[in-house]
Amino acid sequence: MTSLSDAAVEKPAELGHKASALTAAGPFVALAAVAAILPLIGNDYWAVIATRAAIYWVLVAGLNLIVGYAGQLAIGYVSLLTLGAYVTSVLAAGNVLPAMPLAVCFAAAAMTGAIFGVVVGLPALRLRTFYFAISTLGFATIVTQIALAWQSVTGGGIGLTGPEFPKPFDTPWGFYTFCLGVAAFATWITSNVAHSRYGRALVAIRDADVAAEANGISKSRALIPVFLLGGAMAAVAGGLFAVLQTYITPDAFTFDLSVLFFIAILIGGRGSILGPLIGTVVLTILPEFAAPLAAWSTFLYAVLLLVIVLAVPGGIADVLDFHNRRVLTNNRAIVPDPSVLPGLYAGRPAAEPLTMRGVVLAFGGVRALDGVDLTIEPGTVHGLIGPNGSGKTTALNVISGYYALQKGEVRIGDTPLPTGRPELRADLGLARTFQTPRVVAEETVLENVMIGGTVSGRAGFLTTLLALPGRGRDERELAARGRMALRAVGLESLADVRASRLQHSELRFIEIARALMLAPKLLMLDEPAAGLSPDEIARLGDLISAIARHGTAVLLVEHHADLIFAICQHVTVLNLGRVLADGTPADIRSHKEVVSAYLGG
Amino acid sequence: MPISAAEALLHVRDLDAGYGKIAVLHRVSMHVNPGEVVALVGPNGAGKTTLLRAISGLLPWTGGDATFAKESLAGTGPRETARAGLVHVIEGHRVFTQQSVYDNLLLAGYDVPRGERTARIDEALAYFPEIAAKRHDLGGALSGGQQQMLVVAQGLVRRPRLLMLDEPSAGLAPVLVDRVLGVVGELRRKGTAVLLVEQLVEKALASADRVYALARGRIVLDEPTTAADLSHKIEAAYFGHAS
Amino acid sequence: MAFGATLASILSTGLAMGAIYALIGITYNVMYSTSRVMSFTAGQLGMLGGVLGALFTLRLGMPLLVGFALTLLCCAVVGMVTEFVAVRPVLASLDQHLYVLSTLALALIIQQVTAIEWSTEPQAFPRLFGIGSGALDEKFWLPVVACAMTMGALEWMQRKTLVGRAFLAVAEDNFAARALGLPERNLRIASYALAGAIGGIAGYAGGELMLAFFANGAFLNFYGFVPVALGGLGNNRGAIVGGVALGIFQQAANFLVGGIFASVAVFVVFIVVLLAVPQGLFGTSTARRV
Repeated sequence: MTSLSDAAVEKPAELGHKASALTAAGPFVALAAVAAILPLIGNDYWAVIATRAAIYWVLVAGLNLIVGYAGQLAIGYVSLLTLGAYVTSVLAAGNVLPAMPLAVCFAAAAMTGAIFGVVVGLPALRLRTFYFAISTLGFATIVTQIALAWQSVTGGGIGLTGPEFPKPFDTPWGFYTFCLGVAAFATWITSNVAHSRYGRALVAIRDADVAAEANGISKSRALIPVFLLGGAMAAVAGGLFAVLQTYITPDAFTFDLSVLFFIAILIGGRGSILGPLIGTVVLTILPEFAAPLAAWSTFLYAVLLLVIVLAVPGGIADVLDFHNRRVLTNNRAIVPDPSVLPGLYAGRPAAEPLTMRGVVLAFGGVRALDGVDLTIEPGTVHGLIGPNGSGKTTALNVISGYYALQKGEVRIGDTPLPTGRPELRADLGLARTFQTPRVVAEETVLENVMIGGTVSGRAGFLTTLLALPGRGRDERELAARGRMALRAVGLESLADVRASRLQHSELRFIEIARALMLAPKLLMLDEPAAGLSPDEIARLGDLISAIARHGTAVLLVEHHADLIFAICQHVTVLNLGRVLADGTPADIRSHKEVVSAYLGG
Repeated sequence: MPISAAEALLHVRDLDAGYGKIAVLHRVSMHVNPGEVVALVGPNGAGKTTLLRAISGLLPWTGGDATFAKESLAGTGPRETARAGLVHVIEGHRVFTQQSVYDNLLLAGYDVPRGERTARIDEALAYFPEIAAKRHDLGGALSGGQQQMLVVAQGLVRRPRLLMLDEPSAGLAPVLVDRVLGVVGELRRKGTAVLLVEQLVEKALASADRVYALARGRIVLDEPTTAADLSHKIEAAYFGHAS
Repeated sequence: MAFGATLASILSTGLAMGAIYALIGITYNVMYSTSRVMSFTAGQLGMLGGVLGALFTLRLGMPLLVGFALTLLCCAVVGMVTEFVAVRPVLASLDQHLYVLSTLALALIIQQVTAIEWSTEPQAFPRLFGIGSGALDEKFWLPVVACAMTMGALEWMQRKTLVGRAFLAVAEDNFAARALGLPERNLRIASYALAGAIGGIAGYAGGELMLAFFANGAFLNFYGFVPVALGGLGNNRGAIVGGVALGIFQQAANFLVGGIFASVAVFVVFIVVLLAVPQGLFGTSTARRV
């Protein structure tokens, strides 16, 4: 009976996956076809416009990873285009150093772009989004000022000639072909990154940064590679732009271009490649059709931006996403299947206990944790209860590294946990869920769960970029494991649905599935039963018990006393930051002091 | 003793409320009569704070209705409810730390006619001589207990007909708890109704006429505080039916 | 002699530009205090102060005082429009940073309309009083006086008026202020109007120095934000210290290493400060996340 229904569920999901991969490639093929026949039907003027669109796309494709995927609002990216244009032109012209071959000029531009891409991006690694936006804006202001002022090199306001391409790329259509090739390459590499653990990590940073850290994603390690890549691609685009313009002055690089790049991505939709590609093409061509409006084009872009932000924050991609409009059945039940757990746990390192010794943490004058000792044995469910403000969640946050303890230590087995470094926990086999589920609403359920396996991926950034064999293997393994984890928590039939469409209770189970990707040594559950129906709580209890039986030490913070007493082997009661009682559920239930602390006697 | 619900000052019927996708309150019905002290108890996460927020207009509700002095509270914000005489003192003694005690009270009297403010503030401070002596100190310089007194005094500046207190005892030493809850008794003698959310069940019961217990977003107990075997019933309500 | 003149020029220009930056920084802060939003319209308001001042007084020939009052009024209205159009609709989802985009869009709209309807070239700004010359010319001390008077008025308002205290209350704890029955929404609108007027003052007082130029908006967006980053978000005194420090640093670097590298130096200092002291030199650290 179960196997039958399982098979029925599995097949459409698999088929749907392959079909959607095909339909996903379709629009790109169509665009490529149009681009390929363009030289046969268009004139030279069209060649220039089409070349410009291709060049802009080279920049936007890289910027898309930063803005669309990682959600970092780089608004002054024209500065890197300017930089690339000047570096190639200056080196090719030989007015500073001896004139260099084109390949060297472009390589130098790419390197400069990569370096400044990171420099401008530094504030994004630690600070609020607005600071990054303003630092890119500041950089854009400054690059223009320098281009104007540094006359001996840049020619100041008079400008300088751009590099020239050799045969056969020296005709409009010849150069177009070259730029088209670069654009296609840009599409391919950014799509490789986007559909990998790197891409998912970027989206996790954008929409669920706290959860991203708990899953071993370090903001700087995830962002620096895309800043390098985005900067290099923008600078290469700048070099091509200089060739296309044949002569460059600072006037050619107005802030309006930044706005165009930026809006192309937002119109297209965050977390999509096709959307921004269409956005770039449309925004490049549009002014040509509406010549009388040319002066107002930036104004119109700005109005468009405002309308998009206020009305359709998802962009074109969201509007066109028919796949996710299909109605979900309303009365769907979450039926966990713990029988697949052995598959998830196969080949994992041995379980180890977690110990806290004398942990002290004070906020201001208040000792939130005042010398807490706690041992969570592998294979058991350990309940942590206590009145409001007793320190339960604080204890969880110390173990998972969000708070730095001031005294004492926490170990997993014999390994001390590094203080206050949440992004190092996943590697040590610690996983957690959150009081309010932290999932990426815009990604599918499966992609959300795969975020949990970020630390187990082996393919490096370059391997991923060029789609070398390691990337495919990683993706297949993670996807297979993700489906298994989803089956374990009973959500496999929703694997390809966007998480935003799920109910609250289902999001809680997604978080557990994400944690199971690690087959964790310690699983911390922060009020997993909150908002669940009695039936769902019962199934949750069975699932937690099954997970513990596979060797995971489970730490359960929960208000539902009945769940605690039903599934815990051990219960610790905290009060005012100290351990008030510690023992079996039966001990605790009859502990007079506990009952009165709970009731506030 | 029990007055019929029709005369109730605050009347909540089948209220649903929550945060985004998370439903917290499920068809909660309760009432508070004029001059009555009602305790609202329940385990963590039961929805007590959510209920108070929904009543005072800090959180929109998704179903049901609530009336205060026979006027519907649907769609009203905290400013309107406070004007009507329903004042909510939120949890966590959140005083404005960078402003003096007196200025904190002036802010509470923002909507009070200018000429009356001083009198109202003196009236509120009369309940708390401890902080009256510190009226020029910064709110942030007060101890936790004094800050709690200050936020209660802020509520009293409005001369409420119903004062809703959310966990006034949290984080306070026992002596101060008695001090703050003692004011509840004083208010009751003067005819002000109080809806008291408390963790310290026994202390709450000692000050109240009636008690509701809320668990998992539902009212699970409604008894006068004189009911027989009350503590047992509340314990059962807290721990589910495992006992 | 030459050195003395140079020093005087560095100080006068530095202080004047610093005061303008500081005023724009205060504009950012006043908007931020009631809404937790940093708005790209802050710099544009500074630009509008200059452009509208020139428009009313020079182009339309209005009396000085009328022109000044109208300029402030228009800027206050633009501040309120910011609140209605670009801030309120996205307040509910503050964590998605949509305000960066909505305020950027509005700022660009303001900038483009100015460029097209006014001019894309810098235009003359009226000479207001005709007092002083050389390093003591009014164009240098006007911004400084404007900045000092604005700061004094702000502090007076916050200490002596109930509305001022209510601003502070909303800034410190929006939720508690709302629970207390303060008209949080009206206070927010009022703070945006106030911020608009302050931005207008910056542009008007700095008009003789910076001229009436549409591109001043983007320039002030960046240079006016640096004092905020230096002084700590929401800290007006910090913004003044940061602004003056930035102005003098910029002019000194201009003299010592030349214009090209002065802007590089400013940018480097900005990035380094952000990384070393993210909460600013006078700011307090940020809230918990979990």
